[in-house]
Amino acid sequence: MSTPVAQITNLRFGPASKPVLADINLTLEAGHFLGIVGPNGAGKTTLLNLIAGLTQADEGYVDLFGKRLSHFNRHSLLKHIGFLHQLHDHELRLPMRVSNVVAMGLNDYAMPWKRAQHSDKIIQALNLVEMDELADSDFRHLSGGQRQRVRIARALVRKPLLLLLDEPSAALDSVRQERLFQLLRRLCDETGMSVIMVEHDIAAISSHVDSVACLNRNIHHHAMRGEEIPEDVWRAMYGDHIHIIAHDAHCIGCAPSEHNND
Amino acid sequence: MIELISQFLASPVMREAIAPSIFISVVAASMSVMVMAHRLSFLTVGVSHASLAGLGLATTLALPLLPTATVFAVVIALLLALMPKQKGISEDAGTGMLFAGSMALGIILISSAGNAQIDLFGLLFGNILTISPADLLWLNILGSLILIVLFLAARAWWSIAFDAVTADASGLPVSSLRLLLYGMVGLTVILCVKLAGIVLTAGLMVLPAACAWLWGRSLLSLWFLAISFSLLGTLSGLLWSYAHDWPAGASVVLALCGCFIISWGASWLKARVQ
Repeated sequence: MSTPVAQITNLRFGPASKPVLADINLTLEAGHFLGIVGPNGAGKTTLLNLIAGLTQADEGYVDLFGKRLSHFNRHSLLKHIGFLHQLHDHELRLPMRVSNVVAMGLNDYAMPWKRAQHSDKIIQALNLVEMDELADSDFRHLSGGQRQRVRIARALVRKPLLLLLDEPSAALDSVRQERLFQLLRRLCDETGMSVIMVEHDIAAISSHVDSVACLNRNIHHHAMRGEEIPEDVWRAMYGDHIHIIAHDAHCIGCAPSEHNND
Repeated sequence: MIELISQFLASPVMREAIAPSIFISVVAASMSVMVMAHRLSFLTVGVSHASLAGLGLATTLALPLLPTATVFAVVIALLLALMPKQKGISEDAGTGMLFAGSMALGIILISSAGNAQIDLFGLLFGNILTISPADLLWLNILGSLILIVLFLAARAWWSIAFDAVTADASGLPVSSLRLLLYGMVGLTVILCVKLAGIVLTAGLMVLPAACAWLWGRSLLSLWFLAISFSLLGTLSGLLWSYAHDWPAGASVVLALCGCFIISWGASWLKARVQ
């Protein structure tokens, strides 16, 4: 069996009496596409930040590509990770071309002594999100959805082994959301890249991902493709006031139940 | 006008001042892009005013002025970089406190020293026309160091200004690079004090990039434009100073303000036409 891309063991973040995350155990193989769902404040973003080494866990550990993530090796391990977070408040102050924004995702972007031409890689990454025609445009003048696609291209340009995405579909319309999930599925299958994606809408991702982890402080359930998520898991995550509606046969978690007609 | 320029170039005092002024304006303009990108305008005000305490210390202890002020400015800048991590103290509040405290210390030290040789007006408002060979050597060393570090770290700093979280997740040592940036801002402030003085230094470190910001579309174009505006402001300011016998530093800063107003007006007109 090959080395897992990411392995999370007994992870806890926050005080033991009232942790933000506790007892998190996950293993991610190469080419696996994992969706993480959960209510607001469930710790989804914190979990991504812990995997990316942006935050230190209070207990447990994260292994990336077979190596224990620590303060000393995080910079070298992170070079194999693509990351997209949710906060983009500051970036519109700086005058930047779209291609320059994508170039920032390259591993040697900050090294002026490595002046190799990366325009092919940049155009390829923009092509994946269908933004290559706007490569010379001013990033500040793009729409919210277009900017999000450029950020996704920035995360992909380094050809990461692991892609961490925090609600990547937030600014996208439903057609673009579907194309994004299809693209991620294709990259997982063709290149062996693994993806951990936080999303609110399980219905939107369920037919693309390999598994869904239901998170609310703990991982209440980790459902593989075709597996049903028990109703008590939904209630443990979202409370008793939810209505569960089945979508189709491929939808992870959505099984017909007596609540279908609610 | 041509006669004025030829007299200006023939003046021995101005001839000596032009080269260091151009060098200072190139270094300050280059750093001004990062000052704008990282929103460090108030830091430059704080560090420049705090350097008065360094100058006061140098006067009291009979140490060389510029090297002592340099060390003091870098220490203050690094303190300000680390201060926001302390709970409850925002960066601008920290800058305000250190700025006021250091300035008060500087005034007391300088007045207690009772040294009539100190050119207080020159310290406050700059005096590039009386630059000594020792000062020139110090400025050349500092300026070269700043330009080398800037060349090596510019893209990383730019990346952090654009999106610090992604830069951190990309493997860049964001905290160390930020400390380095603050240190370099401290050094640049000292460089500018000789030309524009403690009070007007922020003008040299903000206005060139502010002019360029309205037109640039990338780091390289911003850098090129900021240097161009800075050179235009510095040379026309020196010429103005020569023509009317005005203080050189104030004339340069006023010329840069003029550049900004023209640049902003042209940008506004362009937007209206489009």
